[in-house]
This record gives sequence, C-alpha cells and structure tokens, in this order.
Amino acid sequence: MREPMRYDVIVVGAGVAGLVAAVRAAEGGARVLVLAKGVGATHLAPGTVDVLGYADGHRVQRPLDELPDFIGAHPGHPYVMVGAEEIEAALKWLQARVAAGPLPGYRYVGSPGENLLLPTAVGALKPSALAPASVAAGDLRDGGRLALVTIGQLRDFFPALAAAALAQVDGVQARAIELPLRAAARNDLNALGLAERFEDVVFRESVAAALHGRLEDDERVGFPAALGLQDPDGVWSDLQERLGRPVFEIPTLPPSVPGIRLFGILRAALRRAGGRIVVGGEVTGVEAERAHVRAVRAHVAAREQRHSTDWLVLATGGFASGGLEMDSRWQVHEPVLGLPVTGVPDPGAPRFTPRYFDDHPLARAGIATDAYQRPVAPSGERLYENVLVAGAALAGAAPWREKSGDGISVATGYRAGGQILEQVTPAAGGSQTTVSTEA
Amino acid sequence: MPQLQADLLVIGGGATGAGIAWDAALRGFDTILVERYDLATGTTGRFHGLLHSGGRYAVKDPDAARECIEENRILRRIAAGSIEDTGGLFVVTPGDDPAYADRLLAGCAETGVPCEEIGVEQALRSEPRLNPQIKRALRVPDASIDVWLLVNGLARGAADRGARILPYHEVVAVHRGDDAITGVRAHNHVTGEDVDIEAGFTINASGAWAAQVCELAGIEGVGVVPGKGIMIAMNHRLVNTVVNRCIPPSDGDILVPIRTVSVIGTTDVHVTDPDDHEISQDEVDQMLDSGEQLVPGFRQARALRVWTGARPLFRDEKADQAGDREISRAHTLLDHLERDGLARFLTITSGKLTTYRLMAKDTVDGMCRQLGLDRPTTTADTPLPDYRDGSAFRLGGRLRHKEDHLLDEQLVCECELVPRAWLEEHVRASGTTNLDDLRRSLRLGMGPCQGGFCMYRAAGIVQGIKDLAAPEADTSLRNFLEERWKGVWPILYGDQLRQARLDDWIFQGLLDVEHLPGDGAAHVASHGRRTAPAGMPDEDA
Repeated sequence: MREPMRYDVIVVGAGVAGLVAAVRAAEGGARVLVLAKGVGATHLAPGTVDVLGYADGHRVQRPLDELPDFIGAHPGHPYVMVGAEEIEAALKWLQARVAAGPLPGYRYVGSPGENLLLPTAVGALKPSALAPASVAAGDLRDGGRLALVTIGQLRDFFPALAAAALAQVDGVQARAIELPLRAAARNDLNALGLAERFEDVVFRESVAAALHGRLEDDERVGFPAALGLQDPDGVWSDLQERLGRPVFEIPTLPPSVPGIRLFGILRAALRRAGGRIVVGGEVTGVEAERAHVRAVRAHVAAREQRHSTDWLVLATGGFASGGLEMDSRWQVHEPVLGLPVTGVPDPGAPRFTPRYFDDHPLARAGIATDAYQRPVAPSGERLYENVLVAGAALAGAAPWREKSGDGISVATGYRAGGQILEQVTPAAGGSQTTVSTEA
Repeated sequence: MPQLQADLLVIGGGATGAGIAWDAALRGFDTILVERYDLATGTTGRFHGLLHSGGRYAVKDPDAARECIEENRILRRIAAGSIEDTGGLFVVTPGDDPAYADRLLAGCAETGVPCEEIGVEQALRSEPRLNPQIKRALRVPDASIDVWLLVNGLARGAADRGARILPYHEVVAVHRGDDAITGVRAHNHVTGEDVDIEAGFTINASGAWAAQVCELAGIEGVGVVPGKGIMIAMNHRLVNTVVNRCIPPSDGDILVPIRTVSVIGTTDVHVTDPDDHEISQDEVDQMLDSGEQLVPGFRQARALRVWTGARPLFRDEKADQAGDREISRAHTLLDHLERDGLARFLTITSGKLTTYRLMAKDTVDGMCRQLGLDRPTTTADTPLPDYRDGSAFRLGGRLRHKEDHLLDEQLVCECELVPRAWLEEHVRASGTTNLDDLRRSLRLGMGPCQGGFCMYRAAGIVQGIKDLAAPEADTSLRNFLEERWKGVWPILYGDQLRQARLDDWIFQGLLDVEHLPGDGAAHVASHGRRTAPAGMPDEDA
C-alpha cells in the first residue's frame, strides 16, 4: 500500500465552486487535491456567470447596485457573507484565469455592474453578469436583428421556438434558419458532437456557403453553443469573418459546450498551479477529532485511499449534484460529513407547493455556516474549524430562480480559497493554524 | 353556432365511451363522441394498467370474476397490441393469512379463472426481487394493458367507420324535450366556441362524472360516489409479472409492470368530487410501505410520478329509498325511459376497465332495445384495426426499432425511445400542439427525466411544424411544466428529487421558461385552451 498522502487542502466537488477554491488555494502555494465523484454542474450549466438576475419578482439590471437591498431582504443568503466587493473581485479573478487559460483568445466579458441580456434557447432574455465573449455577442440590451441557425442533425436546438418568442421583444427581430447540412454520419448529434464538427474548417466552409445570400445586412447570426471545444475563439472568429457579420452562441441542452470549456480551463489552471484532481473519487469517510477534519478516505479506481489534510472545502453542490440527499422518509442528509441541513420544512409540512414556478419551501435548503463559511449547527455552534462550505451546498439561495448560481459558486469558492491562503504558509507542509474564531 | 347531427351521441372519451363508439360504429350507427379534455384523461387514464384475470374477485364477487376472465380472453384477441402478457401472481407475504390462498384457489376453480399454485422457489426464480419471505404463490393470467393504446385504437377504429371523435368538447347543456333527450350543447375548449349536437340517441358514458351529466339533463337522484385511489409509477420494472398480494382486496395490494415502469396501487377513499386529485403524504407513505412488503428495497427505487383516479361507485338514490344501500361495483346501466320517463337516453357507469367491452355491448344493446332494432354486437370477434395482426405488445419493440434506425433517426425522448419522425407524424395527423396530449399519445416524457430533455425538443419540433404564435407555444410549454409538476412534487425524494433539480436547471437555469417575453399566462384566455384547465388529470402508467 502506498504511503498515505498529505495535502493542505482537499476540495470535495469539481464544479465551479470547488475548482475555483482549489485553483485559488493552489496558486497561493497550497498543496491541493480535488476529489469528485463525477464532473460537476459545469457540464449542465450554460457556462455563463449569473450573479443576480431576478430579485423579488423584478429583473435586475445592475446586480452590485441592487445587492444591498437584496441582502437586506434575504438575511440567510450566501451573498450576505460575501458582499459586493468580493463578488467583483472573484469575477475579475475568474476572467483572468480564463484569459490565461489553454484556449487561445477565449475570454469572459461583462461585469457584475450591469447584466447582459442573453437570449436562451426558448427565446427568453436571461440576465447574466459574465459570459464567454462568443455568448455575450448575443446581448440584446439594445435589441437588434437576429438570424438563429441550426443544423438539422442537431437534436437539441430549435431556433424557431426561440425566434418566435424573441420577436415579441421590443426592438428585436428574429427568425430561424435550419441548414439541411450533413454534419455527421449519425443523425443524432448533441452540442458536443456538433462542436467537434465546427473545429473542422471544411465544415465551417459548408456552413458559410449554405448561409450565403440568406442573411440580411444588419443581422447577427446565432448558433447553438457548439462553436468548437479546442479552439472556440478560432472557430468563432473564422465564422464571423466568413459571414462578414457578428456571430454568437446560444447555450442549449446539456452537455454544455461552454460549461465543458470552463471546466477544462479551471482544471488546467489547477494543474498548472501544482494541484491534483481526481474525478471518479468518491469520498467514503472523513476522520475528525476535536472539530477538525484530519483525513479523508476515498474510493478511487476500486481502491480505498486515505489522504490527510489541514483543510476541507465542501463543494458538493445541492440536491441536483448529490451534495444534499433526501430519503423516502423525507429526511435530508449531507453525505460527506453528515452536516445538519437547514431550511428543510418540518416533517409533515409541505416541501413543495403545487405550482411549479412557486418559491418552494425546500428550495433554499442547504448547509448553514458562520461568516467564514464554516458549517454550524442550528444552535449556531461551529461544527468544524477547518471545513469551509462553498457553492450550491450553502443554504439560503434559490439559484435557478434568482439566476445567482454561478455567481454564488465563483464568489464563495474564491473566498474559501482566499481564507485558506491567509492561514497556510506556502511550502511549509505540516503547518496548520485555524482561522480566528470570532465570527 | 355550429350544428352537428348524429344517430348517436356518446358523452365521455374513456374506455367505455370509446368502446361504445366503436361498437355502435360497427353496428352501423352514425356516431359522435364528445370528451371534455383529451381521450382517456378521466378514470381510464388514471389507472394502474391491470387487465384483470378475475382472480382478484374470485372470492368476493364471482360474477365479476367470470366477466373478467371472459373479457380478458376477448381483449387478448381484439386489442392484442395494447396488452402485454405479463401473467400474474398472488403472493402470501409475511403476516398474511395463508388460508386465503385456498379460498382464492377454490373461487377461481368455481368461476373458471385459471389459477395454479407454484412453489415459492419457482416464484422467486421468475421474480427475483419479490419478498423472499413469501409463503405461497399462485399464478393467474393477469396482464398489463396500455389504456392509451386501447382507447386511441378504439377511437381510430370508430373514426375509420365514420364516427366523429371530438376531444376537448365539454357538455355544458343537455337538450331535453317533453319526454326525451335530443342532444347537447358542448363547449369547444380549443376554439372557445359552443356547438349544438342533435342526436337520435344519447349515451352518458361519463363514468365518475355521470351524476353531473344527469343533473344537466334534469335527472335527479343518480348517485355516483367517486372512489379515489392513489397510484405511483416507479422507475424500472421492479417486477415483470403482475404481483397481487394474496389477501382480501385492500389498499396497496397490486404492483403492475407496464411499459417501462411499474405501478403500485391503490386506495379507495370516497370523495364528493371526481376532480379531487389531492394527494397526501400519508397515502404516498402507505403505498411505499406496501411496495416494501412485496419487493424489499422498494423505498430505494425511484418514484416517477403519482396520480389519483376516481372509480365511479354507483348508488341510486331511488333504490336507496327502497332500502338497498349496497354500493355496486359491477357496472350499471340506467334506462332513463324506465327510470325517469325520458326516452333516448342511457347512463352507463361503474364497472372496471377490464370489462369496458361488455359495458359497451350492454349499453348499445340497451339502445337497440329501446329503438326496437335488432343489430347484434360484433366487437368480441372484430380486432381493432390497429391490432389486426394479433401480436401482443412487446416491451422491446421500441428498442428494436431504434436499433434498426441507429444512424438515420433522431430521438426526441431517450427514456421512452420516441423518434422525431413519430412525433412529427402524430402532430401532423392529429393536429394537436398540446405537449401533454403528445405525452399520452407517444409516452413522450413519461420516463425517468419526466420531460426534462424531450419537452424542449418537442416544443421546438411542434413549432417547426405548426408555426404557432409565440404566446401559444410558450403557454403550451409552461402548462406542460405545471401539469408535470402536479404529478411529481408529492413523491420527490432520492434520485428523483435529484432528477427534478436537474430539470429545474434546464427549464429555469438554462432556458428560463419562467421569463419568456410577453406574459404567456396572460394569453391563455385569448388563445383558447390547448391544454386542459388546472386540476386536469395528470395520469401516467
């Protein structure tokens, strides 16, 4: 058996929150291991960073300006402990990592100062703070004329639907074009399969040729978010050049190509900083003493491994990612540390209400923490000194409805990584202090 | 106002009504059928899918048992393609009285229901998930029946012979002469128009809603007590044989494998409103515990969808006055000429899906009697047009189709293996744009993800064909999500809760269906009801 391994930080979960925490800690000199049962929500999510899109029924234009009121109205929300400044810093940090990443020219644009309004695949306008430049090019804050294009073999994008809805927006004209191109032998492409095809210059040529003479002068051309995976900026630029007009991407059904790009960027940043990531490593147990996690056991490639660590970042996500679980007797569990879950309705009380778009009682369930993101019991008592919770596992948010999911993940992951760095002396393996105890 | 005329008007598009339309069309009557929503959205669609062998009734109700086995055999001939020959077991679980199995064997012998005791070991070999503690196992010829295939087959067969099948036509008035019923006024929920239908004869086949239709006709005292029962569809076929608990009929005594799921049922709570579909957590827990008794580990399986159905239990208040308070489970045919002095009007209610054909036959016979016509039924020997080849439903059919078209076909719904071409064909043929109707017709979105992936695709494909105005397309998608939610929120736990959150991710986080341009909800009224009103059935199976 191999020697047990030692880390400064073990991050559980390879979604945006976990990867951001891991990269930040690793770049600061910490020895970091990311353990994840599978890939995270990046592969499902549209790859935009939504900080705050809707607050109490209205669409948010300027997230940072509205944050104080929003925080006031939602005292248990993760943004209460993060605050506007750190959100802004976290997003800038992320933009820099993307720009310095392995995809040449690929970058995230926008700011939490003002939301972009990005068309979705059904034709809603979704407020997002940051987006890949190729997605942000579809911004409709100032309206415009759009031609939304798909390839018939793609089964996951229907521009006719989006165009019909978008045409209802003042100042927006939209129409759909379906190209009867054969992109692949199999008539059943998803976005990932199509992204591979767009890497091929011959295919791009055929797309441009099929669109030749069919576009109006002032039309922007929207494609499903499938414009390449290895060199998306090259694919995007090439299409803009060939079509002689702005081109943009619209995120569509999973697998999410922009999300997979983001995952690749963060993973590369982690490795560059000397961190390790094991996807397919399920945490099976945690050793703790006196409110400190000392080691993590994980099942990796049919073997049990034990890693000792000074810090644990819990970034396992909410119910969607398996970071929270509810059994058939309606009991809610946090599976890694068995932390208490807050925001769960009492037994017998409704967990959901009968209208889908309601604010459901269970929606904000999650792990309660102190101001440093350390988990606390319902009494407020701190449960672990060296555990920090980040991302969708945190209580208090309704990320999909608020359009705050990746904003929370980036900000709380960034903050968790930063807090650890304040405590870890670089390259001094074995050193360990706890964060100060006043909350 | 549009006017229509027919020899026969049938009210109700469940199995009984559609069966009557088919029977009457075969006997040469010019027939119109009206149904308030989509076909098979009342009690028929809110059903567990069991084609009874009669075993369940062999001890308590020998007549019902005889009817069931006879109809079971007939339906396997005439509607083969809607029936999967799963076979059935009655199992004695720990704590059940083993002697009941002897009574069941005796009852089956007396009523002609084939029933043999097999060894526990053999039962466990064929159904390895069964509770290993079972003490006895009896085999009967139960089967599972896809009611949508059946009812759509009946309706298509009738339509082929000239019947006019009018879904989304709700009866709002019954026209009454001095001594006869002469037709109805129906409200078309799609166009928002009313239509007058003049009929030589009218049959009320609205089942649990029969008393309401009688009231519209000014007929008093017809008592139909809706017996509400809960059913839960579990992901996967936890069993491949219908499994009955070998006890007197009780709550949670049946697990039916049907298509890609298995359905546990049911309860029987007398309610006042057949449209009462409220589901309590206690009932859900009761079903899960019952499932655990039959298949240990049941609670770890994913529950996909929950619904309730209202069985019509007939109680005639005129009979009550004569001191007969017995609620009948067998079907009831009311001849309103005899009962109320109103000619050309019959009500058929109660009964069970397995005997729908017999109910239809008795009803059309009753009409012929009143009209003095001699036209015998031929339904027992006439296969439905869709099922002429006589081959039974096979679970692997869709997979085989997909494998044969691996390269050329696009799947819309991976869970239920629905190819895009089927969807397009159905939308073109039926004209429907209602995603929930498409769900019933094609099983689109009935699998584990409950439409998470396919409903965006289906909405897009429908849009490509029908070029709907945006508000209509939006409303359709949103209404689908609302309807779906009704059937899933009471059973969200475990992996299915995780799945539901993933679906939220798609519909809210990615697509943002909640904030489509223009307030779709505000357009519901002005664009007519393509989707049934709130409180509308939410069945599955």
